[in-house]
Amino acid sequence: MLRDITLGQYIPGTSLLHRLDPRTKILGSILYILALFIVDDLPGYLVITVFSLVLVALSGLPWRYVLRGVRPIFYIVLFTLVLNFFLTPGRVVWELGPLKATEEGIRLGIFMGWRLLLLVLTTSLLTLTSSPIALTDGIEYLLTPFRGLGVPAHELAMMMTIALRFIPTLLEETDKIMKAQMARGADFETGNIVQRARGMIPLLVPLFVGAFRRADDLATAMEARCYRGGVGRTRLRELKFAARDYVALAVSVLLVAFSLADRLLP
Amino acid sequence: MQKLSLREMAYIGVFAALMTALGYVEIPLPFSPVPITGQTFGVMLAGALLGSRLGFLALAVFDLIGLVFPVFAGGSGGPGVFAGPTGGYILSWPLAAWLIGYLTEQVPRPSFLRIFGANVLGGILVVYTLGVTQLALVAHIDLLPAIAKGALPFIPGDLIKCAVAAVAAQRLAAHRLVPRQAGAQS
Repeated sequence: MLRDITLGQYIPGTSLLHRLDPRTKILGSILYILALFIVDDLPGYLVITVFSLVLVALSGLPWRYVLRGVRPIFYIVLFTLVLNFFLTPGRVVWELGPLKATEEGIRLGIFMGWRLLLLVLTTSLLTLTSSPIALTDGIEYLLTPFRGLGVPAHELAMMMTIALRFIPTLLEETDKIMKAQMARGADFETGNIVQRARGMIPLLVPLFVGAFRRADDLATAMEARCYRGGVGRTRLRELKFAARDYVALAVSVLLVAFSLADRLLP
Repeated sequence: MQKLSLREMAYIGVFAALMTALGYVEIPLPFSPVPITGQTFGVMLAGALLGSRLGFLALAVFDLIGLVFPVFAGGSGGPGVFAGPTGGYILSWPLAAWLIGYLTEQVPRPSFLRIFGANVLGGILVVYTLGVTQLALVAHIDLLPAIAKGALPFIPGDLIKCAVAAVAAQRLAAHRLVPRQAGAQS
């Protein structure tokens, strides 16, 4: 059961979004979030919505697939809508017993829910269009300028790579331990919440023991191969900005500038 | 920051992977749509087993992975999650692990009560303070409904988890998995 889970939703492709440098996509996502949290009126939201839909179209991914990513936040959006409808003070337009929906509340609720939907929809494109290796490389490159401040860029990227390498292994191991303990009579499925939580111990202990043993073996293996850390290390893949990356970044900056104008100008 | 030894890096990397695996271990709750996931166990055990420094780094690396990969419980991830309503919980984890580590490494063999207390302070107080604040800000709601929705339903379950994590931490400590101030051999 656990083994069916594949990490990363990367869908290989050759669209414009796929070909962008991972750094561009990470920075672009951050700028997009910034713009999304700055805009505050209908024209602003419409422009950003059109922008998002264009991005999805440019990614060349099936719409159905992209929209599926929004499902997990459905309840939170609903909750945001309802609370804002009824708890914002203002002119009452609709009453349901003691609950009073206000005009301001409906406006605010729709904007907030809309913002959350766009947030998840658009930022999911980052992982859908970039391979795990490209993303890790991108993060290492982006962190490198902060090395002077004590941020261990290479080490962080190496630890991320180690983690990504071990996720499938540990998922498989979790599955194996659960089955082994069930074969010994462990019960993960029934009982009240206290019993179920206690039932985690026979899973947690062997899982952690096994994981730390693997970490030890890995460190020994890396030492034996003379791993020396980031200084002077060469790379198989060098990241290089192309013209399209500069264009994409310029568009992202323009989006933030637009949202600022939208906020500040009446 | 003191330079990380290779062995410490391996521990941190594997622990961050372990956090992902724990996200798929779920205990469904009869009274809430959000199930208990194993990831909170991971946060508590990171502090108690790895100590403050490595525990903080393990969760920071995990968060960094979450910035671009769907590793959080329920298969979510990406920069949107951090800016979204539940981002505060995720961002609080490194701090929570640091505090739990700090409180438990004051004595050589922490008692059950000390680990449990550290888990409550780090795993509940720190996590929900930051989590609820961001929930209230991002979903644009008042603090009280945010607490009612984002903290209260989970606290009974979390108290049980604190106790279970403390038991697991003690049993695991008996295995001497990690040299507490690690890197001695490398």
